[in-house]
Amino acid sequence: MRLEAKIEVDAVVIGGGIAGLQTALDLAEQDYLVVVVEKDASVGGKMIRLSKVFPTLDCASCITTPKMAAAAHHENISILTYGDLKSLDRSSDGRLEAVVEKKPRFVDEAKCIGCRQCEYDCPILVADENQGGFSARKAIHIPFSNAIPQVATLDVDHCILCGRCEKVCPTQAVDYFQQPQTIRIHAAAAVIATGFQMTSLHDKPQYGSGEITNVIDALQMERLLAPHGPYNRVLRPSDGMEPDSIAFVQCAGSRDRSMGVPYCSRVCCMYAIKQAMLLSGALPLADITIYYMDIRAFGKNYEQFFQNAQAMGIQFVKAKVASLAAAENGAVEVCYEDQVNGGVTRTSHDLVVLSLGKIAAWNPFGTCPVEVAEDGFIRSVSPRLAATLTSMEGVFAAGAAAGPKDIVDAIAEAGAAAMKAASYLSACHRPKQARSGVSINVKPQPSRAVAMG
Amino acid sequence: MREVQIDSAQQAQAEEKRVGVYICHCGGNISDHVDVEALCARAGQAPGVAVARTHMFMCSDPGQEMIIKDLQEGKVNRVVVASCAPSLHESTFRGTLQRAGFNPYLYEHANIREQVSWVHHGRPATEKATALVAAAAAKAARLEPLEPIRMDVIRHATVIGAGVAGLQAALDLASRGIPVALIEKSPFLGGHVAKLDNIAPSNEKASELLTRLTRQVLDQPAITVHTCTRVVGFAGCVGNFTLRIKVDGEQGQDEGKKLHSMPTKTPRRGVFLPQYGVVTGSCPENPAEDSIETGAVILATGFKPYQPMFGEYGYGRHPQVVTLPEAIQALAGENGSHPVWHWHGRPIRNLAIIHCVGSRQIPGVHEAAEGAALNEYCSRTCCSASLGFANQVRENYPVTRVFEFYRDIRTYGRGQEELYQRASKNRVLFFRFEAQEPPRIESNGTGSESPLQITVKDTLTFGEEVQVAADLVVLAVGMKPNGIDDLVEMMKLPVGSDGFLLEVHPKLRPVELPNSGLLLAGTCQAPMDIGEATNAASAAAVKASGLLARGFVELDPFVAEVNLEQCTGTGACVVACPRDGALQLAEVAVNGKPFKKAQVSPAFCLGCGACVAVCPTNAINIKGWTLKQYEAMVDAIVADLAA
Amino acid sequence: MSSASLKKLEIKTGLKQLRELRKETITAATTRMKEQKQIIKAIKNQLQQPTTVPAIAEAAGIPPHMVLWYVAALKKYGEVKEVDKDGCYFRYCSIEAS
Ligand SMILES: Cc1cc2nc3c(=O)[nH]c(=O)nc-3n(C[C@H](O)[C@H](O)[C@H](O)COP(=O)(O)OP(=O)(O)OC[C@H]3O[C@@H](n4cnc5c(N)ncnc54)[C@H](O)[C@@H]3O)c2cc1C
Ligand SMILES: Cc1cc2nc3c(=O)[nH]c(=O)nc-3n(C[C@H](O)[C@H](O)[C@H](O)COP(=O)(O)OP(=O)(O)OC[C@H]3O[C@@H](n4cnc5c(N)ncnc54)[C@H](O)[C@@H]3O)c2cc1C
Ligand code: SF4
Ligand code: SF4
Repeated sequence: MRLEAKIEVDAVVIGGGIAGLQTALDLAEQDYLVVVVEKDASVGGKMIRLSKVFPTLDCASCITTPKMAAAAHHENISILTYGDLKSLDRSSDGRLEAVVEKKPRFVDEAKCIGCRQCEYDCPILVADENQGGFSARKAIHIPFSNAIPQVATLDVDHCILCGRCEKVCPTQAVDYFQQPQTIRIHAAAAVIATGFQMTSLHDKPQYGSGEITNVIDALQMERLLAPHGPYNRVLRPSDGMEPDSIAFVQCAGSRDRSMGVPYCSRVCCMYAIKQAMLLSGALPLADITIYYMDIRAFGKNYEQFFQNAQAMGIQFVKAKVASLAAAENGAVEVCYEDQVNGGVTRTSHDLVVLSLGKIAAWNPFGTCPVEVAEDGFIRSVSPRLAATLTSMEGVFAAGAAAGPKDIVDAIAEAGAAAMKAASYLSACHRPKQARSGVSINVKPQPSRAVAMG
Repeated sequence: MREVQIDSAQQAQAEEKRVGVYICHCGGNISDHVDVEALCARAGQAPGVAVARTHMFMCSDPGQEMIIKDLQEGKVNRVVVASCAPSLHESTFRGTLQRAGFNPYLYEHANIREQVSWVHHGRPATEKATALVAAAAAKAARLEPLEPIRMDVIRHATVIGAGVAGLQAALDLASRGIPVALIEKSPFLGGHVAKLDNIAPSNEKASELLTRLTRQVLDQPAITVHTCTRVVGFAGCVGNFTLRIKVDGEQGQDEGKKLHSMPTKTPRRGVFLPQYGVVTGSCPENPAEDSIETGAVILATGFKPYQPMFGEYGYGRHPQVVTLPEAIQALAGENGSHPVWHWHGRPIRNLAIIHCVGSRQIPGVHEAAEGAALNEYCSRTCCSASLGFANQVRENYPVTRVFEFYRDIRTYGRGQEELYQRASKNRVLFFRFEAQEPPRIESNGTGSESPLQITVKDTLTFGEEVQVAADLVVLAVGMKPNGIDDLVEMMKLPVGSDGFLLEVHPKLRPVELPNSGLLLAGTCQAPMDIGEATNAASAAAVKASGLLARGFVELDPFVAEVNLEQCTGTGACVVACPRDGALQLAEVAVNGKPFKKAQVSPAFCLGCGACVAVCPTNAINIKGWTLKQYEAMVDAIVADLAA
Repeated sequence: MSSASLKKLEIKTGLKQLRELRKETITAATTRMKEQKQIIKAIKNQLQQPTTVPAIAEAAGIPPHMVLWYVAALKKYGEVKEVDKDGCYFRYCSIEAS
């Protein structure tokens, strides 16, 4: 039997990364009811998976969790995680309808207390995507220790239905028969905050197509540097050696027509500098080199951050890296044309980090008639004066969904999207009394049931 | 989310104080340096502590749930969390108490990260953490429930500066039904954008963009535009500010004077005048003052272009060296009748653009102007503006060769990399220099075709020294914050080392100032392009609108409180108080006789404690930070050190 | 039959159907689990004494990157701990053994 639920809100936010959460909070503060739809098992987006953030070097989980918790506990916000957006379109009454399929976690969200007994007892190890694949999780697991909600999720692709988790669960929360649930969300406005994803390592034959163990991507490096990372220190993945020499390859897939990413990914210069700084703190003796085309340290205090990195002894080499190859003893050979001294040069490093390109995480084609621009990100119809306006009336975009962006720009844009949505709501909306009449049952019932249990 | 019941003060007085201490590992940030388990064991022994626990991330949901459970099961009724700085999480944990049905002020925070694990290591770290936690627990045992100060707000906002940021912020607020006063010192709307022609990267016309934006503003009845106006007085606090404004058409405003000398004496409202902006009406001849009662203020005072020093890249020495704003103005004024662009009668066959002038300055490499600091930041917009300008020249005057001298090309934004690619396609030639070896500009001697010669060590061709002849050298000057010392002084605004206004948190709260009720929009905070400035403006507007939406604000109750029995009316506190209107002596009748006693106006009190220090009878205290609480903290630290 | 035992029976038949439905993934996952068990056993054998990843790899004949993955996983689930540093490598040891 298919379960169906209906939710009436003022605004629906698609994507629960930092941009989506900030938009939701700013709308909720204007007394609008908001539902956030997140496809992952936890909100937080990329930011909650970072180590520390430039240029303040704040610990990422320390500054993301308060936002996550604030949204989760806000009386006007409901969070719907592990939801698959099936469609977002205007319905016949002129309002928007988002149809979301809530994927089964095979765990009753209302009963799960997040004790992780099931995870400890499950016999199957699976590469942990939240740790860059460097460590394992179980077939049933809680994504990470500050995930919201703290609810276990069973991964049927790896489950052998041995029944152990069901037996060990102190609240009988495991339910192998859980069915997907369809949720229809009616809203006057929508904000798209679906963020970005990295291009694949496999698309770069000259950089080893992901086959060289000690060539990793920058998000993986974030995990190695995170206080709660897979090894709790920086080791190279091929054999656990503490690397002596680490290289960053910039624009690895950005500013590159052949990769379909002609634009600049905007944050990789800065995160490479940040990671280099964190590395030189963790491994004071290591040599760190950044191969770059231009260093784009354009934001507030970013140039000073770059200058500090140079003063710390991090090497900046202006070069486009031509190729990478596996060498003796796990080393990686970097081949580039040296623009300062001339000639093709080869150097060897223990670990190489690729600053891969960023592409849109969500392609609305077939799901939502909103237009995307040539770069694949949501098109803005007024990029100079109201960048968050999209081709669809009442639908706004914020954060990396509207082009690569760092956290501060994503947060500012999230505020802007909330402002535009609020303006739109006050212009087209029913009067206040009617509103509470329609949506009275939203918060306590379906949302709560959907969000956390 | 839940109905909150706040225990009444009477109940609290009778009950036994049971302190719960919750210590955070911070995922290793703390526990790598502080022995968290030992700290927990010791905290558990401290007087009044009923429970001591640890968690990987106290701020996470399970961490907070742990506290809620203990509170609801009656194990504890006062909470201490030992974790990061209170600026990050104090409000998170006060919220936790509230959700558990407790008064949020029965909470004390111990900072064992910034003050301990990030600066001390090994045993001393654990010892200092122990002392801090003991002190916090001692204070917690003496906490009483408090009520926040609730204040009505005036549903009205003021925006200072009518550049694109200020205009956008005003429009957004008005769209929420909030009346707005828009204050602009010049006679025109539009700020610096009025000086632009083609806007990078979208190639819109600045005139069209500004006309469109200002028409909406001028047509919006909720917005009152005050041009030729400055703020001359500022008082009040969040929700209830009073601004004194002064309207003056002449005083020191060259733009104002120009308006009066315009050919049409009173240009029409809404008309765009290139270089100046959009006209709102004529400026008043006679100065006048007025005041505005307002609930929130958005600062949108913008920037000014960097003014090169005499001799910097030959500026001032050679008339053919100009700034980018000057060059944009000149090119916009061309009517296109010549196949070659002419500057003061000379054809421009070779045009050079030098990037990063007055930006990205490095101590030890660059020299600052007299009395000024170095501009170490990147101005963010000049790369795209230069490339846009170069393309415009190449596409309209193909005979003009364009050379760009740069350090890094920062075309980071949407549509900007395309400008760079288009410039390459337009055969703009690029030379890259190191900050230490900037291009040198010399005169080419008489008789040669071009008056100037540029020499540079080009790192794109392996450091070869290259020479280029130039008819015009354009300096891509950066941004400096507009001079608003008067506002900074009046409103006590924080300014960063770069001279721009300083936001509360550079990552999470980019448009808020620590001064509650004051917000930031656009380039007064940092260099931004137009799209970024209007985004920031809308973000600021949403914060102001949120603040004014409910009709009231709640402020922390940490303000002075007078014990009327002990107060003898010396007035020492009133003298010591630094804040106007916070403290005064008032007539009070005691047993039919009038006495003078100190009286606090909570909304104005800063909670600084200057009064507490001078009271001879200890009759005045800061709520939530009483002398007794301080004594208990000190005692706990001393006891801990002795142990 | 009592309603409780009826329910049990229902679950039992339900599970049976579910197993049938997911036969392929279950078989594949079971094979993987068996391999994992063997590897874990081999690695744990080496971890009776503090030792490094390359040493385990060499002794157990398992590629070092795989050894590291298992060591990280065992560490996460509280079965292995890091002991000290040996040159550029760290030494690990099973918690039971220490
Ligand atoms: C390696 C690396 C390091 C970085 N370091 C820093 C740093 O130090 N400082 C800094 O400022 N920035 C940094 N960044 C950039 C930062 O990650 C982004 O600015 C930020 O994450 C953008 O937030 P967002 O919410 O727009 O997008 P995201 O974080 O991508 O969040 C989008 C969310 O939407 C969800 N979603 C996607 N599609 C759907 C769908 N169809 N339905 C429902 N939900 C969906 C996703 O699951 C995700 O939760 C770094 C980026 C990388 C890659
Ligand atoms: C050479 C150059 C080229 C540029 N080219 C582009 C481009 O192609 N594309 C692009 O997107 N961006 C470009 N920019 C950036 C663009 O100009 C800014 O993003 C934009 O002007 C910022 O708007 P603002 O409102 O923040 O500030 P401003 O435009 O500076 O406006 C501030 C306003 O506040 C007023 N004001 C200041 N102090 C007070 C006070 N005390 N009281 C009252 N009013 C006050 C000022 O008179 C002014 O009207 C360029 C900048 C430069 C320097
Ligand atoms: S931010 Fe830097 S590394 Fe990333 S694409 Fe842009 S220029 Fe390349
Ligand atoms: S934007 Fe370009 S020209 Fe301007 S300061 Fe930054 S790097 Fe220099």
